[in-house]
Amino acid sequence: MHLTPDERWELIEEIARRTLRFGNYKHTLKDAIGDFTVKPATGIPFAIAILFVFWSVFTSFAALMTDGFMIKIFDNHWLPWLQQNFPGGPGNWFYALMVDVGQRQGSAIVASESCFDSFGVLTSGLFLPIGVVLPAIMIFYLMLSLLEDIGYMPRLAVLIDTFLHKIGLHGYAIIPTILSLGCNVPGVEATRILETKKQRFMMMTLLAMFIPCGAQIGIMQKVIPQYIGFIMLYLFVGYFLYGFIMNKILPGKTPEILMDVPAYQKPLVKNISKKMWMRTAGFLREGVPFVMLGVLIINVLYIFGIIEFMATAMAPVFEGWFGVPRETAGPLIAALLRKDLAIAQLGAIEMTKYQMISAVVLVTIYFPCIATFVMMLKESGRAFLGSLLALMIVVFTYGGLLHLIWKLMGVA
Amino acid sequence: MRISIDRMKYNQEGVFVGINNELRLHLAGMGLRAGKKIKMITREPLKGPVVIQVDHASISLGIGIADKLIVEVDE
Amino acid sequence: MKVLLMGHPNVGKSVIFNRLTGANVVSSNYPGTTVDYTQGYMRVFDRDIEIMDVPGTFSLDAKDKAEEVAVKMLMENPDAKIICVIDTSKLERGLYLALEIIERGFPLVLALNMWDVALDKNIVIDLQKLEVILGIPVVPTVAISGEGISTLVEKLIDVEPVDILHISNTMKLSCLMTSPGCAGCKGC
Ligand SMILES: Nc1nc2c(ncn2[C@@H]2O[C@H](COP(=O)(O)OP(=O)(O)OP(=O)(O)O)[C@@H](O)[C@H]2O)c(=O)[nH]1
Ligand SMILES: [Mg+2]
Repeated sequence: MHLTPDERWELIEEIARRTLRFGNYKHTLKDAIGDFTVKPATGIPFAIAILFVFWSVFTSFAALMTDGFMIKIFDNHWLPWLQQNFPGGPGNWFYALMVDVGQRQGSAIVASESCFDSFGVLTSGLFLPIGVVLPAIMIFYLMLSLLEDIGYMPRLAVLIDTFLHKIGLHGYAIIPTILSLGCNVPGVEATRILETKKQRFMMMTLLAMFIPCGAQIGIMQKVIPQYIGFIMLYLFVGYFLYGFIMNKILPGKTPEILMDVPAYQKPLVKNISKKMWMRTAGFLREGVPFVMLGVLIINVLYIFGIIEFMATAMAPVFEGWFGVPRETAGPLIAALLRKDLAIAQLGAIEMTKYQMISAVVLVTIYFPCIATFVMMLKESGRAFLGSLLALMIVVFTYGGLLHLIWKLMGVA
Repeated sequence: MRISIDRMKYNQEGVFVGINNELRLHLAGMGLRAGKKIKMITREPLKGPVVIQVDHASISLGIGIADKLIVEVDE
Repeated sequence: MKVLLMGHPNVGKSVIFNRLTGANVVSSNYPGTTVDYTQGYMRVFDRDIEIMDVPGTFSLDAKDKAEEVAVKMLMENPDAKIICVIDTSKLERGLYLALEIIERGFPLVLALNMWDVALDKNIVIDLQKLEVILGIPVVPTVAISGEGISTLVEKLIDVEPVDILHISNTMKLSCLMTSPGCAGCKGC
């Protein structure tokens, strides 16, 4: 037999009357902080401060580890050792693939001096994910887990709801968005907490295009720290702009936020370290081999002249429409596997500041990496085709827009 | 006096009267049932959501939901 | 035998699941951490019993896709036994979901989780009476410390479905005779 909701509640009230007693409840510090961080007058400045601290700790820790520690190990010890001891040596194709493709100097080819430039599977292929990305995502996941376990996320959701609601999502969309800043894959999966197909479709598409993952941000922080602020800003503006447009043209409902806001909690060190380790291990297991594979594939494609061919064929689009050098073809292929790898490659290409910004934006928005692609396919099924269509449109309009801005500024 | 939840003042208390739409079942599951005491915690600016307290739970509601929820308040 | 962990979002289902199976499912302090089901096994009296961690849901009328997964898991496993996890300080609304599941004929054990938090808030629950009224085992637990978890499993083994009518009839009795030797004082 089934009860109606009212009958059920009647029964529960009766049960509660006979078994449940609320004693004196004193407002605790936790409740006070809870109120403080959710009321707009205090909560909004607090949220900005939190995000600022998050970003500062992230960038300074990553830089400290990479520049102060990893680079020294990789460039002063690992690379020279391999250059000395790896069978074959310069000129050998296997050596070039695995250790050092060499740097062109006039007509000669000389040995590379850093693991950024050498572009071998065992040098750049290990240095990028372990020397640069690993410290970045470890600190990211530490802080993310901390925010998660304290219980800050739902309050951030409430504060940001006003804005997200204007583009047909709602505050809780901050969860997939922030998870995506670590890795797009769990971010796309977390779109399940949104109510309608329309909201999930929008969210997934926006994540795949405009939210760079932690690995990519880590490399950006290393290669182009001076432009990262502008690039992130351009991406976030894109997130809201195209969210707004999609919300206007797509059919379907956009329900509002309706969520529990749990009380704050003292975080458990054990749970935080476990989550941080699990997420980092996931990167080591799935990220590192993909970067190494990516380096290998890119090298092979270069050797057979395939990238050169594509660069020439696509030159009018790259140079005419997007305003980036034709050599961007290589990184764009790498981006299909790993965005971090693609950014690192861009760093090695000769170009102006403005071309660099355009190229990084292009790499970010033009297509999800393979892991995200698979998750999107699994989560959205046929709607995925629509997502791809939206993506193509955005790449050409938003990528082209940046070129237009440069032209108007007279710098492109 | 009967008003919608979004019109409540900070820390004001009221008794939930009801809602009549498809969210009713869901709200019942969250503990929002007729006759229940509700306390307003906060309201975000620019048509943002409200946060209310029901029993020992805090719930955030979009303004479009909150303005359909009716409460009975004093004065 | 198959066991499902049902309950509202953020009540501690995933922590309990990890305790029972030794798995490493993610748990965080916000609703909607788990969005897909995870299967695991727990060992009880030399038997491997299949148990599922599912997303939290507020009722059996799913609101989002994560909740849909939870409701679907329940419907697809009509023979399953349920551990219904409740945040003790929100007992009433937790019972709402528990009753919904009981009404559908599932055998169910009630885990009153976050018992520590309820204690801090001076919430007093007459467990014995609650068990008599509902006709099912009610176990206070603290998932993060492991308290009550083994009792939960013991009680689960031979739990039987109850009739919702039985519950509402019990409620009509003025005396529940919960203490031994009580002969109907009408005081409860
Ligand atoms: N104090 C206290 N905290 C607990 C207890 N059990 C779980 N928690 C905390 O409650 C939060 C939620 O736990 P989860 O296991 O993720 O909850 P869940 O039910 O799986 O949540 P969803 O997956 O979102 O449905 C975590 O921060 C836990 O550390 C408990 O018994 N006492
Ligand atoms: Mg969970």
